[in-house]
Amino acid sequence: MAATTLTPTRRSTAAPAPLKKTVRILKYVVFYGCLTLIALVFLAPYVIAFFGAFKSEANLFSTAPWSPPHSLYTGNFKTILFSDDFIRYLGNTLLVTCALTAGQVTFGVLSAYAFARLEFPGRDALFAVYLATLMVPNVVTIVPLYTMMRQFHLTNTYWAIFLPYVLGVPYTIFLMRQYFRSLPSEVFAAARVDGCSEWTILTRILIPMAKPIIVTATLIAFVFGWNNFLWPLIVTDSNAKQVLTVATAGLQSAFNDQWNLVLAASLVSLVPLLVIFAVFQKHIVRSLQLTGVNR
Amino acid sequence: MHVTALRHSRTATAAQDGPPSRKHRTTAGGARRLGTAAPFVLPSLIGVAAFLLIPVVIVLVLSFVQWNFLTPPRWVGLANFSTIVRHDHVFHALLISAYYVLWNIPFQTVLALALAMLLVRKMPAMGVFRALYVLPYMSTPVAMAVVWSWMFNAQNGLINHLLLLVGVHGPDWLGSTSTALPVVAMVNTWQYAGYNMLFFLAGLLAIPPQLYESASIDGASAFRRFTRITLPLLNSTMLFVLVTDIIGSFQIFDTVYVMTQGGPGNATNVVNYQIYQTAFQNFDVGSAAAMSLVLFAVILVVTVIQFRFFRSRITYEIA
Repeated sequence: MAATTLTPTRRSTAAPAPLKKTVRILKYVVFYGCLTLIALVFLAPYVIAFFGAFKSEANLFSTAPWSPPHSLYTGNFKTILFSDDFIRYLGNTLLVTCALTAGQVTFGVLSAYAFARLEFPGRDALFAVYLATLMVPNVVTIVPLYTMMRQFHLTNTYWAIFLPYVLGVPYTIFLMRQYFRSLPSEVFAAARVDGCSEWTILTRILIPMAKPIIVTATLIAFVFGWNNFLWPLIVTDSNAKQVLTVATAGLQSAFNDQWNLVLAASLVSLVPLLVIFAVFQKHIVRSLQLTGVNR
Repeated sequence: MHVTALRHSRTATAAQDGPPSRKHRTTAGGARRLGTAAPFVLPSLIGVAAFLLIPVVIVLVLSFVQWNFLTPPRWVGLANFSTIVRHDHVFHALLISAYYVLWNIPFQTVLALALAMLLVRKMPAMGVFRALYVLPYMSTPVAMAVVWSWMFNAQNGLINHLLLLVGVHGPDWLGSTSTALPVVAMVNTWQYAGYNMLFFLAGLLAIPPQLYESASIDGASAFRRFTRITLPLLNSTMLFVLVTDIIGSFQIFDTVYVMTQGGPGNATNVVNYQIYQTAFQNFDVGSAAAMSLVLFAVILVVTVIQFRFFRSRITYEIA
């Protein structure tokens, strides 16, 4: 390189300054180039689904998957969103997921508070039982749960879909308990001395202090409810109570391999989670790290 | 886990300052405390009992009966388990699951660690890339499996279109016994690599930079610093990531259901899918219950082995 010969070398081992700079810039370019390439691989399915969803069927099969649609063809979304079924699945999913989330967080907060801040006989033994249930694989309880739902004539109801998860689940109770215990105990002691009831302490002191973990628990519950597949697949068998995941899994056969419609429908079912991710991105990343290593 | 202790010292000290449990407790006081706590605990206690504990008892009972959900169940003793031993379809499904774990976990873990090591640097825009890599974790597995089926579509999919550019006629990925399982595993690697990266990032950030500095001064190569500092100090993170991922991998269902339905042939007929079919398509409840208990046992054994392995290695307290 011409520049190197012009620069006097101060030390024989160190590279001349301009060369060093070039190397550094090159390193930056390679580094960020790699990161961008990896990001492209991670994003590819979304992009390809997006492109496909805005193409007509003829267009989809005549153009390359990576070429953006010439014009935004919205016919696929019209077909899906104007079909009564799809709107019903969307409504069912929202209803069931919101009920599940509200119950799981409310009852979870209550139990976590008791396990973290109240003293009662058998507390630690009971908590150990909760922890032990974390080891039971999902599939082990699916068959008996289904037989129970049949026994109580609850199959094919909204209740059946969210009932097993609505009263609080050990995992989020554990997360919240750990967080509640980390809060300074003097505050709670002072409130008790002042004669506050446990309910007042919970609603006026604990919940405001524990907002981050409650948001985390809410997100975990919502994403779980929205994504839940195996259980709704088993416990519902009518169109009336079907949820989005079960419908999505049947898209290919339902639309007879009209991939433009299939992709549009998948995209619609992904949108709520994408919005949640965009809004809570920082929070999600932080809380996932926290929850994971603490588990 | 010592990483936890380091990162959340608040949590560690708080562990002792919960309500002190006193040995001398009057019965009346205990009853009163129970009365105070009951409204808080009862809802979740009912939930855990009804939807987790009782089902485990029921599944044990069901594994000893023959039942099709309709006619009265018939006690058959250990017949369901002896069927599992005699016919190799369950063993075969377990083997498929094991293959799946082997296709999924090594790639996923190495990729997650590599991504974490890229993003651990203090440079601009790291947060943006971190978010982009985690994004797949936040999407519905069923919907993404549909999209990936389109990407791997033999005639019109992205993958085969790209291969055509370099003159290769790609296979029917999901329709061929040799490629279907690796493809399903790859989809899950795509979905969870970024998520696991977060844990490795947390682990890497907990390693004191002075260790690397003094190792460099002593002339340790980058490879040696990685094997002698990074890996040993990531021991507990690695244990956590592997244990949770392998438990999850053994229970893969959604992706298989959407992309391959267990096929072609039996190529992707993993245990969970087999249990689902046995119970809800063949209505052989007893066999399905027995199979789910076998899966439970396998997962427990694999988990215990991992704990043994990681415990036997030296861990360093850096707190």
